[in-house]
Amino acid sequence: MKTRHELTEILDFIAEYATYLLGSGVHTSRAIRNSQRIGQSLGVDVQLSSFQRSTILTVRDDESGEAITRVVRIPSLPISFERNSDLSALSWDALDDHLPLAEIRRRYDELTAKPLIDPIFVLLTVGLANASFCRLFGGDWTAMAIVFTSTLVGYAAKQRMQAHGVNHFLIFIISAFMASLCASVALRFDCTAETALATSVLYLVPGVPLINGVIDIVEGHILIGCSRLINALLLIICIAIGLAATLLMVKDSLL
Amino acid sequence: MIALDILLDGLFAAVAAIGFGAISDPPMRAFPRIALLAAVGHALRFCLMTYAEVDIASASLCAAMLIGFGSLWLGRGVRCPMTVLYIPALLPMVPGIYAYKTVFSLIMFLQSLNDPGQGMQYMQLFFLNATVSLSVIALLAAGATLPIFVFNHQAFSLTRRRRPVHTTQTDPARKAEPAQMQKPENPSE
Repeated sequence: MKTRHELTEILDFIAEYATYLLGSGVHTSRAIRNSQRIGQSLGVDVQLSSFQRSTILTVRDDESGEAITRVVRIPSLPISFERNSDLSALSWDALDDHLPLAEIRRRYDELTAKPLIDPIFVLLTVGLANASFCRLFGGDWTAMAIVFTSTLVGYAAKQRMQAHGVNHFLIFIISAFMASLCASVALRFDCTAETALATSVLYLVPGVPLINGVIDIVEGHILIGCSRLINALLLIICIAIGLAATLLMVKDSLL
Repeated sequence: MIALDILLDGLFAAVAAIGFGAISDPPMRAFPRIALLAAVGHALRFCLMTYAEVDIASASLCAAMLIGFGSLWLGRGVRCPMTVLYIPALLPMVPGIYAYKTVFSLIMFLQSLNDPGQGMQYMQLFFLNATVSLSVIALLAAGATLPIFVFNHQAFSLTRRRRPVHTTQTDPARKAEPAQMQKPENPSE
């Protein structure tokens, strides 16, 4: 039997945990399962339903039958697979080792305080990745070098704009425009210019919301799945707008 | 030369997967497995398309299913959920050229409104490329997700420390017991 104060503490922690997961790009059913697992380890029943921007969750004490409900806003966090893995593992540890709430909270704070991957490392690997991608589509070495450079420019611009909190649709348009504009210098060289131009913007493809959307839909969370897909579609349209701006400028040399 | 082509294809796919994966901040311990999955998956699609003349959509579905089952198998060792391994591994298979041609033919269609014949040609190209891009992306996502439904029990417990990698961190007495059993609090850590 839990006092109301204890139950509220549990609710507040699970609310923070679940919204953190949803905010960092975890698909809905995993966030629900993990939260319920933590609830089970603490002896409460957790039910939650989620939308794109907010989550409603109810915690019910199994013994007394007392229930508390909260609506929580989902924070917009950077997508992080590391948090996804670590926090999922935390929920299993909580269940298997019967950790008390204070200990779960301490580990949660530790895991969420871990730094993200170094941005310079990400920038360089994204450049290399896009260059290899160009190669997969049949680009030659000149095209690969051009794609590498233009990805560095586009992705660095994206990182700077994100740091300044620019609207993310604008970030995608500007970043795609800059990368494809840099890649259009390939038209001046004797190389596979069209491949270079096509590949230069592909580092922006929102893979995580696309696949999470499909997973959510097939698992029965159709509403949030559709919201995720629409979100991804909007970002793809933004990439297309940025690319189209470049294509309109250089289309005569492409024909 | 065939073997070299396949190896090179796998290598470039691995580099692409690592880079695109790095955007989404995966744990460092997952990188080798992401690279392996991407290489195997893309090489399979390359072989199917080049030597068996399978179309891009079916070949992508086969490769995505291979990546999905692979992530189920490899996820346990690094305590990562399947999505952490297979989303980055799928990214090198995104049909970029088709997506680009979709945008390009839409623009050219809008530029050639005064010439119906040419406009029709661009419209046809637009639908062709858009259909290929959409179906490939949908099949990639669906194919890799399939193992979650087939083996949902295993897929949901990949991050569990049941068969511990670091034996020092867990209580040896607990290994053989079923997880749901009620036990006194465990001060092993």
